[in-house]
Amino acid sequence: MRYRTLTTLLALGLTGPLAAQQPSPGERLPVVRYVLPNGMTFLLLRREGAPTVSFVTQFRAGGVDEWTGISGTAHLFEHMLFKGTPTLGTRDYAAELVMFPRIDAVADSLTAEFRKGALADSTVLRRLRDRLRQLEDSARQYVVSNELDRVLTRNGAVRLNASTFNDGTNYYFALPSNRAELWFVLEADRIRNPVLREFYSERDVVMEERRLRVETQPVGLLREEFLQAAFRAHPYGRPVVGVASEIQTVSRGATEEYFRRYYGPNNSVVAIVGDIDTAQIKQWADRYFAGIPAGEPYRPVVTQEPPQRGERRIEVEYDANPVVMIGHHVPSAMHPDSRALVMLANLLTGGRTSRLVSRLVVRDRVAANISAGTQPGSRYPRLFTFTGVPIAPHTTQEIESAVYEELERLQREPPTDYEMQRMRNQVEATSIGRIEDAFFLALQTASSEALYGDWRQSFRFDAANLAVTPADIQRVARTYFSRSNRTVATLVRPPRPAAGRTN
Amino acid sequence: MRATLRPETPRVASRATAPRRLLALSTLIVAAAATSSGPLAAQDTRETVRALEARFPALRFNPPTPREARLSNGVQVFLQEDHTVPTLSVRVVGRLGTSNLPDSLWAAAWQADGLLRTGGTTTLTPDSVDKLIEFYALNVGFSTGQENSSASASGLSRYRDVMLDLLFDMMRNPRNDTSRIRETVGQVEESWRRRNDQPASILGRAWSQVILGDHPFARSLVTPEEAHAFTPERLRYVQGLLFCPDRFIIGVVGDFDQRAILAKLESLFRGWGRCPPGTRETPPVRYAEGPRIVLIERDINQTNLRMGHTGGLRVANAPDYFASQVADFLLGGGGGFNSRLLQRVRSDSGFAYSVFSNWGAETRREGQFFAGAQTRADKTVAALSLMWNVIGSMVAQPVTAEDVQLAKDNEINSFVFGFENASQIVGRQISYRIDGLPPTWFNIYLQGIQAVTPEQVRQVSERYLHPDRMITVVVGKPSAFDAPLSTLGPVTTMTLEEIHR
Repeated sequence: MRYRTLTTLLALGLTGPLAAQQPSPGERLPVVRYVLPNGMTFLLLRREGAPTVSFVTQFRAGGVDEWTGISGTAHLFEHMLFKGTPTLGTRDYAAELVMFPRIDAVADSLTAEFRKGALADSTVLRRLRDRLRQLEDSARQYVVSNELDRVLTRNGAVRLNASTFNDGTNYYFALPSNRAELWFVLEADRIRNPVLREFYSERDVVMEERRLRVETQPVGLLREEFLQAAFRAHPYGRPVVGVASEIQTVSRGATEEYFRRYYGPNNSVVAIVGDIDTAQIKQWADRYFAGIPAGEPYRPVVTQEPPQRGERRIEVEYDANPVVMIGHHVPSAMHPDSRALVMLANLLTGGRTSRLVSRLVVRDRVAANISAGTQPGSRYPRLFTFTGVPIAPHTTQEIESAVYEELERLQREPPTDYEMQRMRNQVEATSIGRIEDAFFLALQTASSEALYGDWRQSFRFDAANLAVTPADIQRVARTYFSRSNRTVATLVRPPRPAAGRTN
Repeated sequence: MRATLRPETPRVASRATAPRRLLALSTLIVAAAATSSGPLAAQDTRETVRALEARFPALRFNPPTPREARLSNGVQVFLQEDHTVPTLSVRVVGRLGTSNLPDSLWAAAWQADGLLRTGGTTTLTPDSVDKLIEFYALNVGFSTGQENSSASASGLSRYRDVMLDLLFDMMRNPRNDTSRIRETVGQVEESWRRRNDQPASILGRAWSQVILGDHPFARSLVTPEEAHAFTPERLRYVQGLLFCPDRFIIGVVGDFDQRAILAKLESLFRGWGRCPPGTRETPPVRYAEGPRIVLIERDINQTNLRMGHTGGLRVANAPDYFASQVADFLLGGGGGFNSRLLQRVRSDSGFAYSVFSNWGAETRREGQFFAGAQTRADKTVAALSLMWNVIGSMVAQPVTAEDVQLAKDNEINSFVFGFENASQIVGRQISYRIDGLPPTWFNIYLQGIQAVTPEQVRQVSERYLHPDRMITVVVGKPSAFDAPLSTLGPVTTMTLEEIHR
């Protein structure tokens, strides 16, 4: 057979990959950083290979930047940025502008009625909804719906999409490299002059997205309530997709206000990776974007989550099998301890040989799955979360107990040399694997620059992970995983309804 | 649109399955004219875009083709070197899957892949295998699909030998350790328990059962009873049928030396004999016929629905097949937001976030046509009738020359994205070989699409799409619907217990 013994194999020639403190491969990429006078930052990276170019624009504008009453607006605005501009997506922009106040007035009346809550008149609500629908439908005669999408589709764009998260919003697609200039024309136009046409029907679409991802998805619902329970002051507790009643009532005016506050060019980072001529790209950046005036500088959220004083436990009722989420407050990604916490997550749940998976899934067959990681963002202090799925008749309590036991054991028993080397090998492999794909590189560099002010930072994290010591991991295990810093959310079945009832 | 809320799945989520085969000319020269340094960003974006499109330089691109080699036992190997980063990926694909075994072995075949990964080898305990994989940061995995099976390994190229020795040992000498069989049985039982927790899972399983009956393609879940019958010997037998050399094709991608890797593969196959008998052709597929509406009641505020029937076409049915691909693009497939279903159901009506169509065709048989959406409960009947109408509109309001041009332009201009990396280049040739398509199928496909006319799109829609004869499956809460489903036709109710798996 091809194997000697396992021990010799494991001992073979693995003297550790990158020595600690050496830069990770991503840091050495020849990225060109180009900043316009208005503050808009471009990251340019030429890659050999197919004649394609990936574009990612990340705005420092996410769910955390919303104000009270408009939750979900960052995400709704993201949808609206596909609806066109004064000269794209329209047959008659002047006629549209005449319609907007009439439509908005009906929407405002609808919201006024809706605000009455239980006292709202359902007949009035229905009449106003119908009227809103009719007016917006009649405005469609002036709209060329989805024209931006059509232009990009005929030019062969792929991966056309966007995503909104707590810390920011991304817009992206890739083009054949001979068509790269198209991105400049379209992106400059839409971030300068977005027109929020078809606004109210899109609000309905977003509500369907909420139903799809949260209200009919037990784990989505559990996660939403878990974060709400853990964050009482900081906006990380607010769902990015929005609270239903706020999605249903947010106004076009508030959404435009969100845009004015956060979508200045100085609040964005663009990464362009692929078959590019860097000098040409700089020229286009100047020509298309330099004329956009800078907006307000980004101001991070002032609210800090107060220290938690006592364990919080919630149940979420849904007709589904149990799942448990166990969260502990930990610092933001830039805090030095975040590296040891990454290694701790790997030690406990990173693969079948990790401490918790080997115990709960492989040996005891108590859980179908156990995983760990931080959520919901990176810029601010967040939650280190264990998610466990029990195998009946085992319970979420058994998973909880095992998690706490392993955290305690870790405080006594440091990671072994084998465990440390396994994790370092994995960090090394990841640090190489993550620079293979052009589109993924664009996403990573844009995100790192937007979040940490330096495209290299997320690659530096890899090098820092390699420098984590067993003592570091033990220290963070002692620091953050106390009972009083904990929030536990469990998915449970609702009590059975009395016989005869069907609801 | 858009708008994905991390960390969930992106975009028009759904159009899950259907492999859209990509296209291509051997040298693509798109658009002509040159010169850039045009005017400053003009006032009218639509005009600026048109002017730009008229002067984009040609894209010169030769689709790379992988190297081909044959091992002494006849196994075909596709190789594509890429030394950008020091990683290596090897994939072994077998041309048989779960449907090619007797029904009594279906469940064992369905789970055989997981046990190849977790069950250890005759010389290595399951724990040892796990340790090796994780210590060397390898990805090793197996998959038993409906009509093919695969084994794959990837990692840093300096661990080439560990990676390949392990992959082949796991494939050739599975132990199926009883402790790991117990683990699998527990997982199967729990999946079974959770099978109705998500509306999409209910819809998917009910749909398969209604349209495919008891065909193996309808199955995606092993029952606890079936799992309890697993034994090491039974699994070993099934693994031996699905993973054996005469039916393999291998793809090698990344940082390697061709001669060295071929020599290594030769040595790994040494002493591995012919495939045993015991397999069969996939049984013929017969799609159920409608019209029929099936309702599964769930207390949810968003209805999941799917409608469809046979796709009527095989890939070989040129030119209808190409016309059907354009029709699907414009109805609810690749055309994205400019497809009729997204435009009417989502953008114009606000009924759904996700709505799509999928007109499949296979090389070996006719595929399925289906369309689906999730819509709020009180618009269920409105959305359902709208979708039927939109499907019918492919005949009633035929697509225009401009629409068809959109599909053609998209195929030509996005062509290059089918060759962005070495894995795609190799993967495409493997799937062509498995499907019995020629190595230049991407050219034939692209030319086929370019020849489609609006009239052909209308004709295939008329011939093969029948909104009045579709099977429609609805998962939702009828008391919250905008009207009784029965206003659309006779309704059969199906309980969760009646979904057999």
